[in-house]
Amino acid sequence: MARFAKKQTTDLDKKLKQDSYEHGDSFSTADYKHISKPGLNKEIIEEISSFKNEPKWMLQQRLKAYEIFKSKPMPNWGVDLSEINFDKIRYYFRPTEDQVSSWQDVPLEVKDTFDRLGIPEAEQKVLAGVKTQLDSEVVYGSLKNVWAKYGVEFLSMDEGLAKHEDLVKEYFGKVIPAADNKFSALNAAVWSGGSFVYVPPGVDVQLPLQAYFRINAESSGQFERTLIIVDEGAKVHYIEGCTAPNFSSNSLHSGVIEIFVKKGAQCQYTTVQNWYKNIYNLVTQRAFVEEEGQMIWTDFNMGSKATMKYPGFILAGKGAKGEVLSMALAGADQHQDTGAKAIHLAPHTSSTIISKSISKGGGRASYRGLVSIGPKAHHSKNTVICDALLLDPESRSDTYPVDKVFNSQVEVQHEATVSKIGDDQLFYLMSRGISEEDARKMIVNGFVEDLIKKLPLEYAVEMNRLIDHEMEGSIG
Amino acid sequence: MRKIKLKKPGKHVIELKKPGEEVEIVGTFETQGTDRVSVEVIIHHQAPRTHATTTLKGVAKDQSHLKFAGRIVIDPDCGQSNSFLTERILLLSDQAHAEAIPDLEILTDDVKCSHAASISNISDEHLFYLMSRGLNKKQAEKLIISGFLEP
Repeated sequence: MARFAKKQTTDLDKKLKQDSYEHGDSFSTADYKHISKPGLNKEIIEEISSFKNEPKWMLQQRLKAYEIFKSKPMPNWGVDLSEINFDKIRYYFRPTEDQVSSWQDVPLEVKDTFDRLGIPEAEQKVLAGVKTQLDSEVVYGSLKNVWAKYGVEFLSMDEGLAKHEDLVKEYFGKVIPAADNKFSALNAAVWSGGSFVYVPPGVDVQLPLQAYFRINAESSGQFERTLIIVDEGAKVHYIEGCTAPNFSSNSLHSGVIEIFVKKGAQCQYTTVQNWYKNIYNLVTQRAFVEEEGQMIWTDFNMGSKATMKYPGFILAGKGAKGEVLSMALAGADQHQDTGAKAIHLAPHTSSTIISKSISKGGGRASYRGLVSIGPKAHHSKNTVICDALLLDPESRSDTYPVDKVFNSQVEVQHEATVSKIGDDQLFYLMSRGISEEDARKMIVNGFVEDLIKKLPLEYAVEMNRLIDHEMEGSIG
Repeated sequence: MRKIKLKKPGKHVIELKKPGEEVEIVGTFETQGTDRVSVEVIIHHQAPRTHATTTLKGVAKDQSHLKFAGRIVIDPDCGQSNSFLTERILLLSDQAHAEAIPDLEILTDDVKCSHAASISNISDEHLFYLMSRGLNKKQAEKLIISGFLEP
């Protein structure tokens, strides 16, 4: 039976067991350069804006967004948001004076945190550029010379605003206006950090760009704002990773990500979200796709207390394509309300949405999606597939899809299934000498495999390990 | 097995309260002119080993609006239940508007539950096949629609 012997422990396994994927402790915020008072008012917004030396129009936009934020009611659908107290959250933290471009210059405590997460190592090997954001500000950034030479811009949003004011003015808030929802208004009012990416026409950035987000301060809000412009025929893959340490009080992460995919361009945006289980993760992500452009969202939600996130695309040009691949893992006390929005406006557009969710230990995973095919989007196609796996009787799975069609030359399909791990599948594997726990892990990994395949190899390996880690001891 | 035929639009709540109960729910709807039709079906499993198959079919013509909202709810401790929901709409005009919302709310793990929804026009291949057999376009369409609505 040597063939079926217990799986070899690899280096990655050992590392995982040590500390690299532990959420870890926070370090003291005493050395922070600035921490705003809790609560939100006009003065705080003016303070943030003056810290950043922003142009006047941006401050005006922020104040206008603040008014919209106040006037909008809390969403009463999806996850339970009643515990969020906007007056207790601190909206702005400045951990270091400036962003640095050499890893040596990063303050020791910050360096330690990111070292343990393996960022510098990954940067050398598999990434084209890195941004790391701690609380409100980007503390470290780099971009390999090869890409910088072609005119690729990978900046923090604040740098982006300073360096490319005209581009920011043209695109900022255009695909996700402040009035889109309460949290996009909040983000537009107090945004800080995030990335600004511009890829010039025809440039193919072959290695992924990575942004790393970490919340370190208690009762804080992280409001990153990302703007990605992929010019005609260009190609880019952007990955964001999120973690936070263990705190007793809840924190809020509310990002806004806007992407513009020009004619024939391609963009893939990958999120690996592993927030600690006390973070509200309320993110708005949307892409505007022009003729023959292609947008792929890959979305892995493992952590957080509650997530509401529906990556979307507006297919505005003829022949544009969109894809959402989303995976959610809801454990005890977690509610993952994720999904996708596909809006077809032009003819011959196609989109695919594949969602896989796993609920365990009383967790709740929901798929919520909208497919809208407008009157001019003839010969458009859409396929939605939602699969849910329930691992125990306490867990819950929901599917709330909406398909709206305004013209007759279309094909819209939706499929969803909910099931548990089949006894026959378990029996098959166990009869071949695999322990029940390993058999369950194998089945769960197989369930999400086709999504994980879309990740770069290093991430796929890590993701498989992470799922194993989450599944540990899940047999009741 | 209990068979339920939905004839009227509006809200229908079907409850499966007895263990082992089986239901088959069928509804076909045709809208034309400026009809506004909305059909809502809630299939609520409240006992273990309950089975339900729900099929909603619709044809939307002219400037009509047709909306199907189906929801399968399985309460906790309703193990070994099966439920399947299908919503199919033929959209025959560009001015017509179709909406399909198949929801699932599952609170037990030992179940088999799925739904499928589709919105499309009559496929060109089907039309071509019948027309190559000597039917004119109108007759072919009529035949396909009646076949589609056949339970």
